Amino acid sequence: MAEVVTTSLNENQTRAECAVIALEHVSREYTGRGASVRALDDATFSIVAGEWVAITGPSGSGKSTLVNMLGCLDRPTAGTLKIDGADLAAMSPTELDRFRADKIGFIFQQFHLIPYLSALENVMLAQYFHSMTDEKEARASLERVGMGHRAQHLPSELSGGEQQRVCIARALINNPPILLADEPTGNLDQANQKIVANLLKDLHQTGHTIVMVTHDPEMAALAQRKIALSHGKVFCHPIGGPVVSLRR
Amino acid sequence: MFLRLLYESFARQRRRKLLAGLAILLGTTAVTAMLALATTIGDRIHQELAVYGANIVVTPKADQLAVKIGGVDIKPATGGAYLKESDLAKLKTIFWANNITGISPELPIKVDLSIYGGATANDLLGIGLWFDHPLTGGTMTGAPQLHPWWKIEGSWPKGPGQLVVGRALATKYNIHVPMRAGLAIPGAQNGIDDVVIYGILDSGDDSENKVFMTLNTAQNLNGTPDAISRVDISAQTKPEDAFARQDPDTLTPAKREIWYCRPYANSIAYQIREAIPGADAQQVRKVEQSEGTVLERISGLMWLISAAALLAAGFAVSAAMATAVLERRGEIGLMRSLGASRTAIALLFYAENGLLAIVAGAIGYLAGSALAYTLGAHIFSGVSTTHALNPVLLPIVVALALIVAIAGSTPSIRAALKQDPSAILRGDA
Ligand SMILES: Nc1ncnc2c1ncn2[C@@H]1O[C@H](COP(=O)(O)OP(=O)(O)OP(=O)(O)O)[C@@H](O)[C@H]1O
Ligand SMILES: [Mg+2]
Repeated sequence: MAEVVTTSLNENQTRAECAVIALEHVSREYTGRGASVRALDDATFSIVAGEWVAITGPSGSGKSTLVNMLGCLDRPTAGTLKIDGADLAAMSPTELDRFRADKIGFIFQQFHLIPYLSALENVMLAQYFHSMTDEKEARASLERVGMGHRAQHLPSELSGGEQQRVCIARALINNPPILLADEPTGNLDQANQKIVANLLKDLHQTGHTIVMVTHDPEMAALAQRKIALSHGKVFCHPIGGPVVSLRR
Repeated sequence: MFLRLLYESFARQRRRKLLAGLAILLGTTAVTAMLALATTIGDRIHQELAVYGANIVVTPKADQLAVKIGGVDIKPATGGAYLKESDLAKLKTIFWANNITGISPELPIKVDLSIYGGATANDLLGIGLWFDHPLTGGTMTGAPQLHPWWKIEGSWPKGPGQLVVGRALATKYNIHVPMRAGLAIPGAQNGIDDVVIYGILDSGDDSENKVFMTLNTAQNLNGTPDAISRVDISAQTKPEDAFARQDPDTLTPAKREIWYCRPYANSIAYQIREAIPGADAQQVRKVEQSEGTVLERISGLMWLISAAALLAAGFAVSAAMATAVLERRGEIGLMRSLGASRTAIALLFYAENGLLAIVAGAIGYLAGSALAYTLGAHIFSGVSTTHALNPVLLPIVVALALIVAIAGSTPSIRAALKQDPSAILRGDA
């Protein structure tokens, strides 16, 4: 475990060098069917290592669009997007796949577990696409989210909250520096939301950078910083508290 | 993990896989049957010809101006010459006499046939034939033996006053068996003979326009006893090779001896020419060649059917794959988000289809072999020497099945991988 340091960062001076995610004039335009939609419009901001950022905004404001680009599933139509110092535009599709497997862990609102694989196998699937499977490690990851005892169960045999925990275990298995969560508690009740919130807190404490889309003010309050979107435009909130950064 | 994924995705969407697999199975069945038949068809033709039909035909020499029959010079009105029926006994004296399995002499004459209470058909072609004639060794020979495809309704003529007519004539003049009729030689003085039509012949060729009687009847009607104008002979022969095509008169005596003592159709024909005065005996290749063309066309048709079957299988796979991929778009998007490369996902789908193709192809191979076996037994009745399973075909057929499956599934797999994974994931949300 890396050493965790708490510092107060001067946004203008230190941010650039610590940024794991940096956007400069990033736009994403969807064209087709005769119309073009600018889902993200000239976004410029950065996220530093170990930061927990909440992305908020009304439906259709471009939150998922932003998260998908941060997750290298999509590319900007304009501007530059750098993740961990690497310019995504310069990467070939294959390199991008590799990069995604190494750097990003996804947590979905819909969990997206493969229905015919057990909880354990769903976690191992991420290992498989990353490098090679290791059942012991996969079990440890399930233990960490409190799902060790349900390893052999199919997703259909798990509650929504349990499925989300498996999804988190899967996102963590390859130890990615960045976790992207698109409404991780959108489909969960209060009790399960709490469990997931605690897990995210835990992950934040251990140095993961978390970018989380949420509609829920309670969840958003957990983050150190909120980025509000409206009609594709970004409104960055000033840093509220100290930034926990991982010295790497 | 790969095997686990493969196993799971193989076990799911069973109905669709069953359909795609069935299509591949049918395609490979057709191909296997076709290949199995095509590889054995050549051998079969030879075997068939040993059983079916004549391979040597004996005619009077073209330059023969006259033949003495019963001490009388005959110049037939047709301009042709005659051979003597009695000379056929000399066939028993040739070197390869025992290889002769069938003899069918014939004498064509012109006849008028009047149906009592019906029409009169003038200037029909009447043929005198052997129907049941003893050959050496107690076997019987004659036209029916040399034309095994002939079908008779009723019975063959056994003596004078008995006739068989071709199916075309029977239909035209509304003839049923048995039926009385009058038979006469056109322009002859000796009047009309009372005859009974005992049979109707289905031959599938122009023999269906002819009238058949015993050779003796034809000879007597024509006033040419012992005359025949053509003899079809079927003999067991050694397949023709380069040596067989040599002209024996240009060979050295030693070589000629070898040539003579081999049962080539040419050697036997040569011996017949020696034995029967005024005879020209020639090997018949026409039959083999025409049968060959027919079989060539049939196998061409089979190729076409096979290609069509494979194409249809390809389309079926492609359709099945299109929906399968559509159903699994979410899964594909998820795998991409986990860092799976396009190649890794394509590999999974291809492996799944490949496995299906191998299984379906192998079953298709078995089914096709069985089909070829039964078809073979039907087409070449009696002679079934082909092995039911030809192991050489298995890899060919499975490879074809693989090509079809891969080609069929490529469009959908490509389309699926081209899709924006973020859109797929969002589509679910
Ligand atoms: N593939 C696409 N083609 C065209 N337009 C799209 C596409 N994907 C998203 N959009 C549009 O882009 C805009 C932003 O969509 P996005 O999914 O990012 O919104 P969101 O903030 O995540 O909304 P929600 O809170 O409902 O999930 C919307 O107007 C949407 O219609
Ligand atoms: Mg969204």
